[in-house]
Amino acid sequence: MVIGRAASPSALANVEDPIVFIVDDDLSVRDSLSSLFRSVGLRNTAFGSAHEFLQQTLPDVPSCLILDIRLPRLSGLDFQAELARADIHIPIIFMTGHGDIPMTVRAMKAGAVDFLTKPFRDQDMLDAVTTAIERDRTRRHEARALANLRAAFATLTPRERQIMSLVTAGLMNKQVAAEIGVAEITVKIHRGHIMRKMAAKSLPDLVRMAQILGIKQASGGAQT
Amino acid sequence: MMRIPTTRPWSAEQWLLGGMVLALAATCIGLLLGPQPAASAHLIALALLIASLAAAFLMMGVVARTHRQMEAMLRGRASGEERAVEALRNSEAQWKEVFEHNPVMYFMVDATGLVLSVNTFGAAQLGYTVDELLGQSVLRVFAAEDHQTVQRNVAACLDNIGQTHNWEIRKVRKDGSRLWVRENAKAVRRQDDRLIVLIACEDITERKQAENALQQSEMYLSEAQRLSHTGSFGWHVASGEVIWSEETFRIFGFDRAPSIKHATVLQRIHPDDRTRVQRTVDSASLDGKDFEHGYRLLMPDGAIKYVHARAHAVTTPSGDTEFIGAVTDVTARKRAEAELHEAQTNLAHVTRVTALGELAASIAHEVNQPLAAVVANAAACLRWLDRAAPDLNEARGAVRSIISDGNRAGEVIQRVRALMNKTTGQMAPLDINEAINEVIGLVQHELQSHLVSLQLDLAAALPPVVADRIQLQQVILNLVVNGIEAMQPVTDRPRELVIRTRHDDAGQILVTVTDCGVGVATENAERLFDAFYTTKASGMGMGLSICRSIVEAHRGRLSVCRNIGPGTTFQFTLPLRQEDHGW
Repeated sequence: MVIGRAASPSALANVEDPIVFIVDDDLSVRDSLSSLFRSVGLRNTAFGSAHEFLQQTLPDVPSCLILDIRLPRLSGLDFQAELARADIHIPIIFMTGHGDIPMTVRAMKAGAVDFLTKPFRDQDMLDAVTTAIERDRTRRHEARALANLRAAFATLTPRERQIMSLVTAGLMNKQVAAEIGVAEITVKIHRGHIMRKMAAKSLPDLVRMAQILGIKQASGGAQT
Repeated sequence: MMRIPTTRPWSAEQWLLGGMVLALAATCIGLLLGPQPAASAHLIALALLIASLAAAFLMMGVVARTHRQMEAMLRGRASGEERAVEALRNSEAQWKEVFEHNPVMYFMVDATGLVLSVNTFGAAQLGYTVDELLGQSVLRVFAAEDHQTVQRNVAACLDNIGQTHNWEIRKVRKDGSRLWVRENAKAVRRQDDRLIVLIACEDITERKQAENALQQSEMYLSEAQRLSHTGSFGWHVASGEVIWSEETFRIFGFDRAPSIKHATVLQRIHPDDRTRVQRTVDSASLDGKDFEHGYRLLMPDGAIKYVHARAHAVTTPSGDTEFIGAVTDVTARKRAEAELHEAQTNLAHVTRVTALGELAASIAHEVNQPLAAVVANAAACLRWLDRAAPDLNEARGAVRSIISDGNRAGEVIQRVRALMNKTTGQMAPLDINEAINEVIGLVQHELQSHLVSLQLDLAAALPPVVADRIQLQQVILNLVVNGIEAMQPVTDRPRELVIRTRHDDAGQILVTVTDCGVGVATENAERLFDAFYTTKASGMGMGLSICRSIVEAHRGRLSVCRNIGPGTTFQFTLPLRQEDHGW
């Protein structure tokens, strides 16, 4: 998705559309950013403080946060750290009236998408927002995939999980059968169930899933 | 005792007279009784006889009286002689007594220095008996290191016979202890043609000790005066006599003299101070009251010295007034003060620059906020207009915001310029409320971002104070920023900062800055004003120290007190009239 072109008004109505959050203690800045985002059809909500932002429930859509680094009571950088601690992974774009290098480095190291010095070019801001929302979309997609994978893995029986770990560790059916003391045909049947339940297209696909899930070869491996 | 003889034998003259009378009587009788006596002749002879007898008796009387007189005279002379001898004998004993026990040591030594005679007192003083010293070398009663001196002194006496010499020397007692003596000595030639030296010496140990003590005390005093650059002086008003200590001479740069003329002193005083000094001194001499004054000296090399003098009036027993005083050279202190003042001025400048540096971030933020809004609004406006169906309402809204933000940025710049454009170091009448309002304009953002509400309670129609605007604003700024910072940890109550101005009873302007922050422990209250004392994690601790110097340079006072409720109040006063700055 590329922002910068005028979007259709109908896009605003779509609840699945991304949303931009603005936190700045200066009303003029908040209003001007809001107007800018609205003019390109981006949903946005502005807050006067970090505290106000935390009061609301974040919608389940791709989003990003535009944060003034100099905030009342809690600095933008400290707020960034606080969000990370609270396991909120919303991408952050920092704004500052007087950026300095150490501050920028700290913000970027802590995962900020960009660091814009006021006054900034509108396109720079919109590009940063695009990047941030794309990153959030990807992150959300991956998170969802992982959640699906975990759900599928949860449907496997203990025996199937054992066989999956041995198979994805590279053991042949015969070896697996010897390892767990069953007939080779039984192993084949279990493998079929595993592939179906995990919706794996091939063995390499299953190996990748095992990696994502962090499955290691079951304890008491082939050697014992 | 008088002896009066009871019997007196006749003298030869009396016998002779008696004989003559008898002879005459016999002759008369012979004439009367002899042959051929004539009647008249008998009568004549009888008359002659009677006359002779009468004459003889008369003569006898005279002779007897003379004899008695002479006897009496002789007797008187004899008893006078006896008395004289007696008196002489007594006198000798007395003198002997005196000589032996007079509290003066007498020595008689021969040319080789052997003791021929010494009085009991003299021997006893040295812990010896007379016999122990007789025939001994006189050197025995002197310390070995003084032997040469003794020999030289004796030789000097012998070289000038009859002439008295005197000297002071130490003697050594039998027990080894020492005493100071003053010796008077002269050599005389005895009848047997031998030369002897007579020495009388008195114990002056106490005087010597007193002298030494006095000398030492004088030395200490003089040293103390030198170290403290304080000289003393005495001034007898009636005679005009002025007596100075060594240090006073040193301070005034004159050679030491027993006394000094008032006019000479005046010449040394800086021409600009001379009249004032003269006036002080004149009025003191009239009312005889203590006085104290500071003035400058213009030294011959053109150097200037600052001195401070105090004098105490005393009335002498004769009823005259005399001043006793001390004069201190305070040049070094003056110089240090001037240097300190300069250092403080420099430091104040540095911190002002630093404060402005810190403010710069704040100012940048204040300017960039509206600028960012302007740019974003302008971009948005273009995008509203560029839409397929331009949204003019949104575009108008954006342009309105641009105008208001543009104005806002302009105001910030104006405020900064107002603060920067003021020339520094100028004392001029100013309205304290106006100065406060200018500072408030600069800290709006600080107040907002720290959620501090500011309450201004400024007294109306305050008379102007003469002050350096920038410096005063620096003080106010510092107190306000301190107050804001002190309230940072406060979350359970509104953060309120109150600035008050008053015209107090003492005719001063009073400015207070009250916060409701964490407060200051009483024991730390005064230390707040010490340089490099800080309660903040970051900060040099110079702020309040400089504030106090600035306020004091304006002859005011900066103090701190705890509120009855939470927080602290800083307050400073500024006098309305600037008084002369004396020293």
